[in-house]
Amino acid sequence: MIAMRKWIARWLSQFWNDLKASTDTGVLAVARFVGLLYGPIDGQLRIDEALRKALRYRLPGHVSWRHALGGITYLLFIVLIVTGVLLSFYYRPSAQEAYPSIRFIVSQVSLGWLMRDLHVWAASLIVIAVLAHMARVFVDAAYKPPRETNWLVGLLLLFLVLAFGASGYLLPWDQWSYWTVTQVLDTLSRLPLLGPIVVGVLRGDSIVSGATLSRFFAIHVIILPWVALALLGFHFTLVRKHGIAPPKHEVAGTAPSVPFFPHHLLRSLRVALVVLAIVISAAALFPRPVAHVANPYEPPDQLVSTWVPVDVSLALIRYLGPWGLALFTLLGVALALIPLFDRRPERDLRHRPLVAALGLVFLLGFAGAWLVGRQVRSVLPSARSGEPALEAGSVPAEPGVVLPDLGPTPPRPADPAPAALRGAQ
Amino acid sequence: MIRRVVRALLIGGALATWRPVPLQAAAPPASAVVQDTVGYGCVICHADKRRAFQLGVHADRGIRCDRCHGGNPKAFALPAAHTGRFLGKPSKVGTALLCGSCHSDPDQMRQYGLPAGQLAELKTSRHGQLLFRGNTDVPTCTNCHDAHTVLPPVDARSSVYPTNIPGTCAGCHQNKTLMARYGLPTGQLVDYEKGAHGTALFERQNFAAPTCIGCHGSHAALPPRVTEIVHVCDRCHAELGRALYRGPHGQPALSGKLPGCLGCHTNHSTERVPPERIAAVCTRCHTPDSPAALRGVEIQRRVVQAMADKQAAEQAIEDLVRSGRQVTDERFRYQTLITDYQQIAEVQHSLDLDQLDDLRLRVGSVSASIRTTAERAAEQRWEHKLILIPVWFLALAAVALVRFKFSELGRRGE
Repeated sequence: MIAMRKWIARWLSQFWNDLKASTDTGVLAVARFVGLLYGPIDGQLRIDEALRKALRYRLPGHVSWRHALGGITYLLFIVLIVTGVLLSFYYRPSAQEAYPSIRFIVSQVSLGWLMRDLHVWAASLIVIAVLAHMARVFVDAAYKPPRETNWLVGLLLLFLVLAFGASGYLLPWDQWSYWTVTQVLDTLSRLPLLGPIVVGVLRGDSIVSGATLSRFFAIHVIILPWVALALLGFHFTLVRKHGIAPPKHEVAGTAPSVPFFPHHLLRSLRVALVVLAIVISAAALFPRPVAHVANPYEPPDQLVSTWVPVDVSLALIRYLGPWGLALFTLLGVALALIPLFDRRPERDLRHRPLVAALGLVFLLGFAGAWLVGRQVRSVLPSARSGEPALEAGSVPAEPGVVLPDLGPTPPRPADPAPAALRGAQ
Repeated sequence: MIRRVVRALLIGGALATWRPVPLQAAAPPASAVVQDTVGYGCVICHADKRRAFQLGVHADRGIRCDRCHGGNPKAFALPAAHTGRFLGKPSKVGTALLCGSCHSDPDQMRQYGLPAGQLAELKTSRHGQLLFRGNTDVPTCTNCHDAHTVLPPVDARSSVYPTNIPGTCAGCHQNKTLMARYGLPTGQLVDYEKGAHGTALFERQNFAAPTCIGCHGSHAALPPRVTEIVHVCDRCHAELGRALYRGPHGQPALSGKLPGCLGCHTNHSTERVPPERIAAVCTRCHTPDSPAALRGVEIQRRVVQAMADKQAAEQAIEDLVRSGRQVTDERFRYQTLITDYQQIAEVQHSLDLDQLDDLRLRVGSVSASIRTTAERAAEQRWEHKLILIPVWFLALAAVALVRFKFSELGRRGE
């Protein structure tokens, strides 16, 4: 008992000392305030020192607004994680409860509507932010050696963002999400070799059902976040290791380097706040409507897309056909792979005309298709064929039915019989 | 003796070479009765008829060629086969009498649960009247039912399956030259397809909707007489019929002074009168400023109002769904609205303005309560936008603070 009291007293005095020590104007005031961080542990691990070193880091002078795109992507990723975790407090991943739980979130939970619409909007904006970030790296040729590994990791992160969106798309379990996923999986299953296998694993059933929902949920909230964290860690480590790519035109001594703290942190804060305000505005002004609950027996009259890649795909399919989508995707893949082969030191875009033209076509095409795709209200092919259109001739004009052909007539009775009969007469 | 041996050999040989014919999956299972007709000499020449016959129900009932056609089925050569009570292909009248020889016998039909009045009914129909006067244009049994492939009406392959009946009748009634001889129109099928009954039957596969025989009868086919029209329609539209009898049109319709339902609706296209055309329909008979026509205007006003209220309620529920609201309660109230709304359709046939008013007000009040819920939800959604004020205030304030900090850092020369 006495030992206990002594221990508490010692801990309290330690805490008080920490508190006093943290009242100096050091940057780690908050970290020290936690008490344990700036205590005996710090002596062993030198966390304080590591943090100070990180804060003393200086960025090259040519770092500008264009370099904020990666940071914006990361910010949107954090928004998605925070809102996603909050949504998962109420969301229930089962075919019976998913839709009612979404309805509960947007109508009953305080600020639940904001969390959901932020999640929806951030999911769309992160795709644009990633593409803008990639375009910046592409234009600056910042992927050239020694940074080609990081371009590859970035590509994986792009696929991850798309996988996040695709797996999250089904979770509302309403008519739009259900039938969009049904369509996409049907199309995928027609791909040769791997198509049916991959779709079989993803769908887990002969139609999109509760089994599919469970799988998509698991992929969305259990598998992908860990992969994303690992890849992001790798991505950031490589950025720190290689540093920011030097400017394209070496003009020595024009811009002095900028300290990370407080200058760069303040700049980042400014961008982050504006981006957050924009996402919240989009969420409040343009909420994602709730369609009717998923019904496997009745396709909806219209499919409304709620995610940028779906918008783009819909527009491409509508106006260029499936081959248009395939060719556009191929163009994107080709652009993404160029950096892996382009190792010449030339970095000015004017000396890379082909690459510049391809990139421009892709970006303009993407932006155009997105704008058009927002307007496209697609109708499922199955919905069209399901409607019994009364055409001329669908009513049998002739009475009776056409008799099925039963094949050749069975063999006649034994040949000699009629002759024998005749003989007998 | 020799003949008996030969016959035994013959039948034995026939059985030995007989193989079951692969029938359609839908064909009824083989009964205990001997199935094959191969031992029948008839099929040596009439193999196509044998195949057709085996698809029908008569094959399962042990009925064979000679039951209708006579002759000697055990003979295997032509002169011998077509002997005895040989009928060949019967005439149209002969066919009716032939079918009737079994199908008019309640004692035989009892086991199959079939009615036995078809021949008697046929004789009352226009078809039958002409047939027994020797007319060969009119159909006999085998023109609507296939002669050999006799299928029950519940079999989708049958020419008298509900969705096939209009086509079966149209087979003759669309034939302009044939119908011209009797002064009959030929557009019935086209009208029927477009109408409420045809849409229900063909598009929604609703077999409660009448085909041709629903109103005209099948074996006793005749157009309803003027005084019969209301009775024909009110077999299904009972509530509408009762409302009509209550109102001023009731007695004239029953006594044949009005063409019953056909005064406002058409027969084959069975068009619904859209609410906004009610008054116009009244002026077909009543002069536009007569009290009766004015009452039509009043009825139209009430029905149009009720329809608008119903649509507004539907839109309100849709809006609530879109905004993620729970709509169980609203859907329940909407059901009561629909009950009243459907009574409006009934009451307007009695031309009773007071009752119509009552129903219209009930529809209106339920619709208003649903719309109020939707408007309240819309207000709440609008209030969500107010969050933009603090968000942008904080964001811009923070941006301004960062700016001050930068200028301070600049002054300090860092």
